[in-house]
Order: sequence, then C-alpha cells, then structure tokens
Amino acid sequence: MAIKIIEIIGAPLLAFIIGVFFLGLFRRIMARIQWRYGPPIIQPILDLIKLFHQKGFSHGPVFNLGIILSLAGSIILILFIPFGGMCALKNSGGLLVILYIMLFAPLGIALSGGEGANPNISIGISRKLILALGYEVPFLLVLLTLMTFYKTISIVDIVNAQSNFQWALFSPLFLSGIAYFMILPAILGVRPFDIVGAPQEISSGPAVEYGGKFLGLFHICHAFNLFIGIALFVDLFLGGGENPITFFIKMLVVFILVVFIHAVFPRLKIEQAIGYLWKWPAVISLLGLILIQIIR
Amino acid sequence: MDRKDIKKWIKEPGKMGHKYSLHAIYFCTGCGIIEVPPVITSRWDAERFGVIPVATPRQANLFLITGYVSVKTLKAVIRTYEQMPEPKWTVGFGSCPINGGMYWDSYNTIKHLDKYIPIDGWIAGCMPRPEAIFVAVTHLWTLIDKGEAKAYVKYREKYKYYRDNQEKVLGKLDWPALYKENQK
Repeated sequence: MAIKIIEIIGAPLLAFIIGVFFLGLFRRIMARIQWRYGPPIIQPILDLIKLFHQKGFSHGPVFNLGIILSLAGSIILILFIPFGGMCALKNSGGLLVILYIMLFAPLGIALSGGEGANPNISIGISRKLILALGYEVPFLLVLLTLMTFYKTISIVDIVNAQSNFQWALFSPLFLSGIAYFMILPAILGVRPFDIVGAPQEISSGPAVEYGGKFLGLFHICHAFNLFIGIALFVDLFLGGGENPITFFIKMLVVFILVVFIHAVFPRLKIEQAIGYLWKWPAVISLLGLILIQIIR
Repeated sequence: MDRKDIKKWIKEPGKMGHKYSLHAIYFCTGCGIIEVPPVITSRWDAERFGVIPVATPRQANLFLITGYVSVKTLKAVIRTYEQMPEPKWTVGFGSCPINGGMYWDSYNTIKHLDKYIPIDGWIAGCMPRPEAIFVAVTHLWTLIDKGEAKAYVKYREKYKYYRDNQEKVLGKLDWPALYKENQK
C-alpha cells in the first residue's frame, strides 16, 4: 500500500522532472544546430520560477479550471503508463483508457481558451482539435494492431511480452511502429505540426491570453505531453525498460530524433498536415493491421 | 548564473527568476527593429541571456521600443504596455524615443516617450549596435538586483500624470483607465 502511494505521487513528479529536462535539452540542441551557444539547460526551470511569481490575468472561473483539467488529464494519463518496470495503476486501465484520456489535455485548453475570447485562441483551438482528429485515426489503427497481435488491451502485458529484446519494432509490427513514429511529431506538437501554437501566424495560439502562473501551468502541460508521447512509443515499440534508467535512455534517443525532425522541417499548413496524416501514416498502419491479420 | 548567487536564489527566487528570464516583446515601431533579428538569431544569440521574443504582451516582461514612435503607434505602445503582467520593464532603443532624434521637428512623432509610459532605461545611438542590447540587459540585471528598476510602480503611482499626457496627444482614449486613481 505504501509503495503504491509513493508510486502514485512519484510518477507525475518524475514525469515533470524528465519533461522539464527535455524542454531544456530541446532549446539547447536547437541552439547547437543553429550554431548558437544556447540557454543554460535549467532555463525552463528559471522560466517557471519567474512565471509563478508573476501577476497573471484571469478571465473567469472556466479559464482557471480548464487549464487545471488539462493538467489533471495529463497526470492521470501518466499514472497508467509503465515507466521501466514501475506503473502506478498496474491492474486497471489499458490502451482504451489511454486513448480516451489523451483527449483531456486539448479539451481542457479548449475550455480555458473559450473564456479568453480572443480570436487567435479560437483559431488555435480549432487547429488543435482538427490535428487531433488527424492523428487519432492512425493512432487508433496502431493500437488496434497491437491489441490484435498481443491479444490484450493491457499496456503492462504488452511491455512484458516484449522483454528479452523482442521489441515490437523488429517484429511483424514494424509497420505500425513506423506509422507511430510518423505521427509522433503531431502528438508532441513539434515542428512540421506546430501549427497549433504558431507564434508568427496566430501569436502562439491557445497560449495567447495566458500570462503568469497560467502560462506556467501551460508549460508544465507541454512538458507532460512530451513525456507521454515519447513514453508511449518506448513502451509500445521499444520494449519498455527493465529499470527506469534504460527506459530513460530509450526515451532520450527517441526525443533527440524528434528534435532533429523539428530542426529540419518547416511548418505545414493545417490542410497539408491532415492530408499527410490521413494519407501516409494511416495507410501504413492499415497495411500493418492487414499484415497482422494475414500472419495470425 | 554564478555560484555566489545561490544565497540570493534561496532568499528571493522570484526576483532572480525575473532577472534571468526576460521575455521580450517588441514591434516594428521604427528602424530599430532591424537590429533585433541578428540579436535573437545565430549571430548574437540573446537566448544565452535568457532573453527570448514572445508573441503576445501577456507572456512578456520586457518591452523594447525600437525606434521613433508616431502618434498612431503610441496608442498600440500604451495598450501593449498596459496588457503586460507585472513586474515589467521597458527599454527605449535608439535616440528617437529619447528626444525625437532626427524627427525632432516632426508634427506626427512624439518627442519624449517617457512622458507617456515609464521607461527603465535607454539605449542611445542611431542606430545602437546589437551588443548595446546586451549591455542594456546586463545593466537591467543590476538594476533589478538593487531594486531600482521600478518604472511599473511609478506608472501605478503617477497614473493620472501619464493618462493626462496620453490624452493630450491622442484625444479621448477609448479604453478605461487601468488604475482608478493614483494608488500606492
């Protein structure tokens, strides 16, 4: 019982530390790619300290509660994700629950932004929901393939089935793995798909009215989102990890690959993004599903 | 970031956070904006000082006014300044906001920006080099450290003075007063 409570408190804390570390590393790697010196790696923490000491503007109760709902959705999602052998809610949940709760974060931001009543927010929210519609189709197909192959909906069982280097990425499931990696930038909201918070077009989209602690919570949501997207990929296709350290190293490798994609590609338009997501990853994941059905 | 700072971090984390994480907002008020892209990109890299550009005034705490301010722009400058969350700092960039510069006899340009919004510091020159922005930022750090960069408090205390000056130039303002009266 005591261990369970420690796990439930520790998992979001660990996710927060890793997410914030990733945010710092993100800016650092981007700076090195652009031949700059870059900020110190603790810069996101300095930003968070500053933001929580600033006087934020609130636009009403829903504005406050929406961002908290988004944060709560992320934290609940983290409890269901195995992190190198430890998983806070091991016996409940599964891929279907994850699929549902993944929509909490954008919906919370949408609620909060609606109270903000800024046209840029409305554009950003509509883009976010359309983008979510775009990547949910291949994502659903990928999860369906995994569930058919391993004959379970429990993510812990899927991780256990991949122990001893039987990674799903190097099994008949490789097509699904490729499809997941293709939609990973859209899930994380990095550059080919950073249409949601485009600073040059719509003044950073949903975050336009956030200042002070609201922006701090928004950044924490973003850090959690980074953690969730990458941890899911590692759990589903790279065999999780025997202990948190190997898990973290795998996450780091995937994350650095994502940063390279972010550094190279320009931003797509929303219709181009949907065209891409519903064409290539969706077709590849569908082929993966057909392949699995033939093999069985 | 220094090891000597650890004591200050424990004592006043908020102040130190404000110091090392200046999110700047600026818009093309004049020709000064031409010096800002080199500052934030690879050549001079302001991000190593923690200075990054943001897209909206709500997220910003450093306001760079780059170049001359026409009467029409003044309206946008005031509205942007009033939307920024406290504490906030303003820096006038170039000689035009200081005293009009080469537009000293222009009928459509304001001469002294600090009559309309409070300014923490000036960067003189026409044009100042991008390095001057870093000098300004490090100087702003010392001012924040000593607690002397308090222009936003001045705006609150002497709001009537600033509002009167603004109305003298722009006529009747179509937005409500930010503060009820002069408050401490």
